[in-house]
Amino acid sequence: MKVSYYPGCTLKTKAKHLEDSALASLAALGVEIRELPRWNCCGAVHSLADDDLIHHVAPVRDLIRAKDEGSERLVTLCSMCYNTLARANLLMRNDEVKRKTINDFMTEESDYQGEVEVEHLIPFLRDVIGWDNLRAKIKVPLTGMKIASYYGCTLVRPQNVAIEPVAGKIMNEFVEALGAEPIDFSANTLCCGSYQVLAHPDSVADVVGRIIESASRAGADALILSCPLCEYNLLKKQEELLEKQKIGRRMPVFYFSQLLAMALGLGPESYRPDMSDAASVEFLKSKNFSVESAAVQA
Amino acid sequence: MSYTPQMQELIKKVEATRPERVARAKRGENFPALSLEERAVVLGKFHPDYQEEGRRALRVGPDKGLVVPEEVAKVMESRSMLRPEKIDLSKPDYDTDILILGAGGGGTSAALMATDAGLKVIMATKLRHGDANTMMAEGGIQAATQECDSPYYHYMDTIGGGHFTNQPDLVAALAHDAPLSIAWLEALGMIFNKKPDGRLDSRHFGGSCRKRMQSSGDMTGAEIMRVLRDEARNRRDRISTLEFTPAVEIILDESGKCAGAVLYNMETREFFIARAKAVVIATGGNGRLHIKGFATTNHYGATMDGVVMCYRVGVGTTCLPSTQYHPTGVAYPEQNVGLLITEKVRGLGAHVLNIDGEQFCFPLEPRDVESAELIKEALEVNKAVVTPTGRYGLWLDSPMIDLLHGEGTVRKELPAKFIQFERHGIDISKDPMLVYPTLHYQNGGIAINADCETVVPGLYSAGECTGGLHGENRLMGNSLQDVITFGRRAGISAAKYVTGGVELGKLTLDHIAKFEKELVDAGITDSIIAPILLPDYSTDEVSARRLAEARQESE
Amino acid sequence: MSAPKQVATGDRAILPEGAKTIPIYVMGKRYEVPETLTIMKAMEFAGFKFLRGAGCRGGICGACPTVYRKEGDYKLYFGLACQTVVEPNMYLAQIPFYPANRAVYDIEQIEPLADAVHALYPEIFRCVACNNCSKACPMKVEVLDYISAIKQGDLARAAKLSFDCIQCGMCASRCMGELPQYHIAQLVRRLYGKYIQPGAEHLQKRVAQIESGKYDGMLAELQKMSHAELEKIYKEREREPDMVPLGTWMPKDVSHL
Repeated sequence: MKVSYYPGCTLKTKAKHLEDSALASLAALGVEIRELPRWNCCGAVHSLADDDLIHHVAPVRDLIRAKDEGSERLVTLCSMCYNTLARANLLMRNDEVKRKTINDFMTEESDYQGEVEVEHLIPFLRDVIGWDNLRAKIKVPLTGMKIASYYGCTLVRPQNVAIEPVAGKIMNEFVEALGAEPIDFSANTLCCGSYQVLAHPDSVADVVGRIIESASRAGADALILSCPLCEYNLLKKQEELLEKQKIGRRMPVFYFSQLLAMALGLGPESYRPDMSDAASVEFLKSKNFSVESAAVQA
Repeated sequence: MSYTPQMQELIKKVEATRPERVARAKRGENFPALSLEERAVVLGKFHPDYQEEGRRALRVGPDKGLVVPEEVAKVMESRSMLRPEKIDLSKPDYDTDILILGAGGGGTSAALMATDAGLKVIMATKLRHGDANTMMAEGGIQAATQECDSPYYHYMDTIGGGHFTNQPDLVAALAHDAPLSIAWLEALGMIFNKKPDGRLDSRHFGGSCRKRMQSSGDMTGAEIMRVLRDEARNRRDRISTLEFTPAVEIILDESGKCAGAVLYNMETREFFIARAKAVVIATGGNGRLHIKGFATTNHYGATMDGVVMCYRVGVGTTCLPSTQYHPTGVAYPEQNVGLLITEKVRGLGAHVLNIDGEQFCFPLEPRDVESAELIKEALEVNKAVVTPTGRYGLWLDSPMIDLLHGEGTVRKELPAKFIQFERHGIDISKDPMLVYPTLHYQNGGIAINADCETVVPGLYSAGECTGGLHGENRLMGNSLQDVITFGRRAGISAAKYVTGGVELGKLTLDHIAKFEKELVDAGITDSIIAPILLPDYSTDEVSARRLAEARQESE
Repeated sequence: MSAPKQVATGDRAILPEGAKTIPIYVMGKRYEVPETLTIMKAMEFAGFKFLRGAGCRGGICGACPTVYRKEGDYKLYFGLACQTVVEPNMYLAQIPFYPANRAVYDIEQIEPLADAVHALYPEIFRCVACNNCSKACPMKVEVLDYISAIKQGDLARAAKLSFDCIQCGMCASRCMGELPQYHIAQLVRRLYGKYIQPGAEHLQKRVAQIESGKYDGMLAELQKMSHAELEKIYKEREREPDMVPLGTWMPKDVSHL
């Protein structure tokens, strides 16, 4: 089976370390995924309305690139990219009229009927690797870590592209496979505030406060997530936003693939902790994970 | 339009001799080059510059008696567009430190150096900023940057290639500044072809003893022009560029200093007075005069305006009778006829072949010699291919390049040329090209010294419109180096002159009346109006229907 | 083979014996022109004299982009007038200028980072990947791919992908995000050339030698030489062999290096 990999712009720039952790993990797992040689923006910034088909041109073009590579699946790490690509894919599969319109518009590309399967890496790990296989490859079980899995919006909404019907199962299974203890918490799909952090930081501070408090009350040591934008609000802006809410407590936050790399026994050059976040660094040290020589540049 | 079946048959002859020729090239064996004596013979017999027909002596001006091509004589002995007595010079429309005429590589380099010195610049140009021969130069730019080379050898190659007719101080300035110019371009962000460690890729060219040709794909001039233009646009507070506004006359002040120019907005047909403390002429060459009917590689506005304007203020020329024919202009397909095929193709090892696929000359002779050898093979030996539209052509065996340097070299080193032929269904990495000499470069022009000064104070010149640097034959890659080195020198010199304090007196165009009186005194009554600005390609049928005698509203 | 009967001189187009003419529509108006000519030469044959819309006439300056449709075909085509051969019933218009936003910057101060490019051209994120830019490019540059590369932070890739750009502006004319692609690419190429591509060390050494005056005496000496002396040295020059790698060969005489 040939698998192409779609990284997304953010994971190539601002969130490069997140991609590194995932790619290193996959390499460690012996999974070969090849980055699309030609790709463009998944269309996230403009595809949230479906009344204008031009918004689907970007993700469909990426799907065509995967198909032209001869791939059956297109894997992505970013839940926003996943969501955008998956929705465009459904549209191309299910809506004959719109499919024709989009194909006709892109005369310079080959026709696309939804042949490629879009997958987020977490379900991909379950379905292709399998939890048991994954468990067998774990070198440093994350025993004793209490991990809350934050889904945010785009892994579970809308329903027709949700990676599972009700959030809470698959990421917990992932956490368990790594040897850690999954912690359920009520705010696991509360929106992180997304791009509103630019225009309405106060509203975002409010939701970030609720998410962190909810996870904290449930007894989590750390939070994992799968979207670089969620990571920006919940990790990079956590301190600033929580101060607005007069919340003192800090919650370590990791991308799911960072935890994966840690459990696979890879070094800090692979799991790439964010050295600018004291809570995360402190947490890693307390669990005997090295943070040396691995700094993510702030 | 790919090759016709007949031509494809002929290509088989080229293919038949290719393996043996490639093997020889790999062993470093070349077709023997001509001795200096043999060069003289082939030039005398076949180079258009050496033919008496179509040339005559100038009857007026500082170079009276000089024999030049008829087409050149016609514009040198021309009348002005202006009627000076109707022009009020007392209220200039523009007032600036330095006025630069021409916005190609030379003019733009001068503008950048002048603004570096803190001065204000107006750059007036006939077409758009950058529509110039600089943009079209493909193959590369010379500079002795490699360890086995030095300015000494750059000087030797240049003056030898010019048959020792070059003006020595200009050659020395070029050889000296060339590496500095490359460093300047690199610092401005020009992309050069480089080895992974940053070493400038350098190649041989016709008449070189060292690999001295730096390049940027086969768009070297275009890359230079893009970068210089971009930088000038970043300095828009100090450089104002007037497009479609060529100069038509130089203005002096009453003491004889240069004091500006009359500009002409070609779109609105208005004239403007631009007063400046110094003027730099960088108006380029004369290919569009189509000497002897030859096709040209030059841009649309190459009509020798600068030389014409300077001649009227008493600035003479150097080497003006000499014109460069590029040995390898496109002969097929018809729509590309005259376009340049860079000498880099031969620098990369492609052979020049006759209709039987045989080599008949060393492919890297100086350009005039190479051209003469091609003309000889066509006219005397009678072994040229004749195209369906009735043009002579000789084969340039580009597929050898991939065989010598590896698959994909043609595509990588000659991307623009590859696309240009691919558009017409010809893959030059698989099939050879048909070539014939084409009018390429104005070797001579405005007389200057190494500081770009003319005999008129405050009047500077640089680039193709000047003469002397190349003598009677220019080497490849010295034209791009010419515009950068002397463009920079002109900007620096003019800035120094202006900064030293220039007081302009009353402006005058009296030199026009004086020059036109000379014309009358010499009995010249049929002179044309020049600068001609743009060539006219109307067919005879269209011209006839224009009824020149029809009444014009403006009369 | 016999000598040509009728030869075109200069750039003036001729109708060779037996050649056909075809109709083209210049801005909607019909003209009969010889087949096989370029749009530019065909228009001149018809009697047009260009002021705008003609530059180098060699496919590199970007002055003559032309947009056209063919009869019965909904598609829009783009080409350079000096390079594109006329076809029967071609409807064409030149677009000699198209306005585009250009950011002013200081090449000495700017950092060679994607962030710096994004800051100067925030509109780059208005790209919807419609690819109309690439379709409009007469040089077949993959404009969308280089814009994508800039968004992805890969300036080196963008510089290479955009290298053949002639800045005619057709990409910008078709962009629904209103990007000035070719200006962005120019900025990126200069960042690449100045900061990302490795510098030429041998060049810096040579510059230092020149500035120290090392060659002044040699050049002065050459300027004083007679024709005969020069000719003698010229003939005796050693030629660097063609196939040796750069930087590995040295002449026997190193006294003038």
